Amino acid sequence: MTQKHIWLNLGGLIVLIGMIGLFYWTSTGTRAVPAMTESLKNKDSKVRVAAAQMLADIGPAAKAAVPNLLEQALHDPVEYAGTTAAGALKTIDLAAARQVMTAYLPALNDGDVQARRKACAMLESLGPVAKPAVPALIVALSDVDARIRMHAVGAIGSIGIPATMVIPALTKALHDPSHAVRHRALSQFAFSISLTESVLPHLKELTEDRDLSVAILAKSTLNSPHRQAKDRTSVYVTALQMDIKIADITAALMKDALHKLAQLGPEAAGTVPAVIPVLKDARPLHRYLAAEVLGAIGPGARDAVPALTAALQDEDAVVRESVAEALRAITTAYTSPKTTAPK
Amino acid sequence: MTTMSNGKKLTWLTGTLFWGCIAFSLTLHVVVTIAHDAVRRHGAWAEAFQDFRLHLFAPGYNFFLIGTLNTLPFVLLAIFILFHLGTASQQEPVIVSRRLAGVAGALVIAVGLSAWAHIGTILHPDAQGALIYFFLPIYLMGLIPLGYAVGRLAGTLLFKQPVPPA
Repeated sequence: MTQKHIWLNLGGLIVLIGMIGLFYWTSTGTRAVPAMTESLKNKDSKVRVAAAQMLADIGPAAKAAVPNLLEQALHDPVEYAGTTAAGALKTIDLAAARQVMTAYLPALNDGDVQARRKACAMLESLGPVAKPAVPALIVALSDVDARIRMHAVGAIGSIGIPATMVIPALTKALHDPSHAVRHRALSQFAFSISLTESVLPHLKELTEDRDLSVAILAKSTLNSPHRQAKDRTSVYVTALQMDIKIADITAALMKDALHKLAQLGPEAAGTVPAVIPVLKDARPLHRYLAAEVLGAIGPGARDAVPALTAALQDEDAVVRESVAEALRAITTAYTSPKTTAPK
Repeated sequence: MTTMSNGKKLTWLTGTLFWGCIAFSLTLHVVVTIAHDAVRRHGAWAEAFQDFRLHLFAPGYNFFLIGTLNTLPFVLLAIFILFHLGTASQQEPVIVSRRLAGVAGALVIAVGLSAWAHIGTILHPDAQGALIYFFLPIYLMGLIPLGYAVGRLAGTLLFKQPVPPA
């Protein structure tokens, strides 16, 4: 093989790498939005689900897809396609996500069990953005159908805020006659919701539950070293200040950290300096959650008042609303359940 | 066989191994995933292909990333083959044979381990199974030189320098 042949082959390899790079560039990020938006109209539900997931990953830059996502969330006959679209909306446009919440709230009182169950699933997929739906979901915890109560527990756990309403509601669900509902409520404390001292006696009680899966989960929840609220606060601050900017991972960690801090309330007062910069984050969900954290901390977040005042001009109406609430909470006495670790 | 035809044969072999290596690494995950999906769906190849295409960049799947990670050690191996075998025609035939044996050893390790990892992961799915896609390139980077060394050693034992007539 001559030198010319070798360099020709290497040149070919460089062209191939360039073509692959170009394919990646055109298939991801904002460039992919038009194709993904078109895919939301596909007759195959799997295509619609995948497109919604990719749009969720793109985030606020996929704003052009909001009308189609809204249509899918409100009218798709396949429930999973609807919940995926609703989940995507919460990362792109909070106001649109709230529209989904408003549309499904009346269905919680529908005579049809399937309609009530679907409403719970949709509200669950919206996560903390569906905070105003918590009172209606708490009412659904008294539904005659155990499946509805179970889905309502899932939705309340996914929303997670305000902790002052969520924790008592989930604690009540720990004593539901259905073991499936008890297990679901326990799962929220095991994996998503910060444990409070008031919950501990209920968890201890569940270690003797007649359902073995509930008893085992209760024991592992109580014994988990990760229940140390103060230790977790420092972990969350680290997540908020991460230097590595790997889009999906960083966004997911930040969202989780903010969500947990919002549940901790005044206990998270030490995190205020780390939360303030998030009020200027590109993702509206992060800005919304940052305002929720500061509002939940209350008077202890007084240092955040100038940043919150500036955030009153936020482009997203839901963020502005949350910021206004936070400012009110900071200037008013605020109480939240004391968070502590099991002994 | 003349020296000229041997040289052409080596040129053809080098080019084939160079591009074959790259093509194999680029298509391995595609072929394994689509074939497994199609068999699972009793021969619905079109649907399996559509599913694969959908999950190319989908969060939680990212087949594109898996394919790219798998390609990295193979691209390095392909470049090594290009220079190592591409310039071999200037060497004595016995050296060419030993180099070929070394490259064969490296290819056996690279292709074998890669195919085993991809097929094994898809046949026995596990929550942490996908981690192999991240560790495989690292393992390959270490094992390919080892495969070459073993192949070269075997080549040295098999292909002896001709003893000059006394």
